[in-house]
Amino acid sequence: MIELGELRDAASKAFPADQLRPARDAAWQLAAEMGWLMMPVAEEAGGLGLGRDASATILCEMGRVLGTAPLIPALLTVQALGDASDLADQQGWIERACAGEYIAMNLDRATISLGAGDVLDATLPAIPDADMASHTLVFGPDFCALVPLDAPGVNVTERPLWDESRRLFDVTVSGHTIAPDMFLARGAAATAIGDRLRSGLVLTVAADSLGGAAACLDMTVEYLKTRRQFDRPLAMFQALKHRCADLKIELGAAEALFWSRAGDESATTTDIGAAKVLACDVFRKIAEEAIQLHGGIGLTDEHNCHLFMKRAMLNLQLGGDADVWRERAGRQAMAALV
Amino acid sequence: MSDTAHLTALRAEVRTWLDANAPKGWREAYAGMTHAEFAQAQRDWFQTLVSGGYAIPHWPKEWPGGGRSLAEQKVIYEELAQADCPRLLLTFVSTYHAASTLMECGNAGQKARYLPRILEGETWCQGFSEPGAGSDLASLKCKAERVSRPGGEVYVINGQKVWSTMAQYADKCLLLVRTNSDGAKQAGITFLLMDMKAKGVTVKPINQIQGDQEFCEMFLDDVEVPVTERVGEENAGWAVAQATLSSERGLTLMELSYRMRGALQRVASLIRQNGRESDQGILRDFGQLVARVDSTCAIADQFLLNRMHGIERVGDASVVKNTYSRVLREYSLLGLRLGGLEEQTRNAITYGDLNTGNWMADFMNSYAWTIAGGSEEVQRNIVAERMLEMQREPKGWAA
Repeated sequence: MIELGELRDAASKAFPADQLRPARDAAWQLAAEMGWLMMPVAEEAGGLGLGRDASATILCEMGRVLGTAPLIPALLTVQALGDASDLADQQGWIERACAGEYIAMNLDRATISLGAGDVLDATLPAIPDADMASHTLVFGPDFCALVPLDAPGVNVTERPLWDESRRLFDVTVSGHTIAPDMFLARGAAATAIGDRLRSGLVLTVAADSLGGAAACLDMTVEYLKTRRQFDRPLAMFQALKHRCADLKIELGAAEALFWSRAGDESATTTDIGAAKVLACDVFRKIAEEAIQLHGGIGLTDEHNCHLFMKRAMLNLQLGGDADVWRERAGRQAMAALV
Repeated sequence: MSDTAHLTALRAEVRTWLDANAPKGWREAYAGMTHAEFAQAQRDWFQTLVSGGYAIPHWPKEWPGGGRSLAEQKVIYEELAQADCPRLLLTFVSTYHAASTLMECGNAGQKARYLPRILEGETWCQGFSEPGAGSDLASLKCKAERVSRPGGEVYVINGQKVWSTMAQYADKCLLLVRTNSDGAKQAGITFLLMDMKAKGVTVKPINQIQGDQEFCEMFLDDVEVPVTERVGEENAGWAVAQATLSSERGLTLMELSYRMRGALQRVASLIRQNGRESDQGILRDFGQLVARVDSTCAIADQFLLNRMHGIERVGDASVVKNTYSRVLREYSLLGLRLGGLEEQTRNAITYGDLNTGNWMADFMNSYAWTIAGGSEEVQRNIVAERMLEMQREPKGWAA
């Protein structure tokens, strides 16, 4: 069994904290070489069979360096391939995905219609790095299948993003016939895969946010310690100390909740969602404060502050926003506290 | 972390014992009580716990019920919270602060004299803060002068103490006095064990905003304390006080966090009573509160688990305390909002409980945690200066 601490150390060695936004293709290559894509796949299927807290550990480290490679979708889709016992050549797919063939997925709600003869019409919004993907995973209400992104009728368009550490594409599919050997599952098995993908997305975005939040707070505190005004370091001013302390405390609570749930396989998607709200909220607050505490330099394109802020704002929206998860957490608690 | 077989057995044992022995309907009983009756109920509950072997799990194993590992202590406190028993407030200072001070810094005679009496129910209070020494405790001025008497040397003490919890019922006091005014202010402090019945000790309970009299003022006029009742060397009391203040690290906040989680039921009931189960705004705010309470439990747990593995970084305890105290405020504010005008009617308060469902009282009580035991602001300084290593201001500012 691989310890989470070892994973964390390996990741921070491979992606040092002082190199933000590592070049995507090289980062992807390195991630594949480190074996990270094999983590969620069962040992019998040639993977490492690690729990979701292992994926969370890696993605937290990638959040710290504003990682550019599409590990969030890749770790989720490789897990789906592992779950897809009906998929023709399942083993081949798993091997290729573990070796670095990128299978993408949409991170926002899709519109999907599967007609007679398995003819697919769909709009699949917010697919990370579709330019480097061979296929994208389509998960509808009662099926789950792979669609080649170079097939006729598949149109891939990049959407310009404020977040400069990620790339998102929108894909439309019209009149594409899904071949029988491209189905991961149908019916209840497909629903289960879809649920797991959605829940995994919430978890991984939360992990990314916690890593980003910690790095952004470190960067800001470091700046306050070195920047001098009024003949003293800014860090000496209690007004600023207390703001940093409050952020550190809020981050600590969000981390404690997240890791307790990431390591608990019985935690519901709503439990993870509630933890995601705290994680994304504190990332947003830290990134927001980072710009203010850096002053003018925080408003410049050359400084890294804005990169954290823009990623924080995007993360808030991915996998369901605070309104959605707070309401569900409220309903779940009401039902439990009859 | 799941329990080992041993802890599972302990959990079952404590639960069975609590089923049979925990006071039933204590909330209703406590609600109508005078403060003196509350103190008596606390004495009774403490003795019941002593006889069950659950009152002093943190003491060494030569004491009955002592010698429990931190993991075992955690189980006991979780079960006490789960069973919603009354908390032990009256004996908190004696079993934790006084006992730890004596065990760590007391001499053999002091330990032999006082520890058994604590188990018999002798109660202690703390005489640390003063009107001029709150967050800046080391600036305390209560003066002690060494004088020879026929029976031996004594300290003659003059000064005033404040915020001494339950001092009106205390038999003994952990007292910080100034024995030297030269040099660093920390270097002139001495730690004494004072008899509360000594001549010249006057205790005045303070009426608090919620109607409680939990803490007191203490006036000391020519009070004589034998030199033999000193803990540690003269002028070395500051270090002893650190032992006192770090005697309880994490168990109380874990217990209180679990109690707050149990009390979410009160908020849910209120939402239902008001017919607001479908009110999206309320559901969101409740969902957020539940997440915040759960995160408080998670960080309190993590703090204790780290301690079990010998990990404790400076500032960790401050992070837990500020999280709990802030969330406790948020909890009471949501209750107040849901309770509406009804909660502005003044109802009898329940002593000794932070989550009573008397929302104005709970709100006011929540300040006990943002102010007492090192204010929220002091904790922020600790986090900023010692965890984040932000530079301290230069000392020596004078108006």
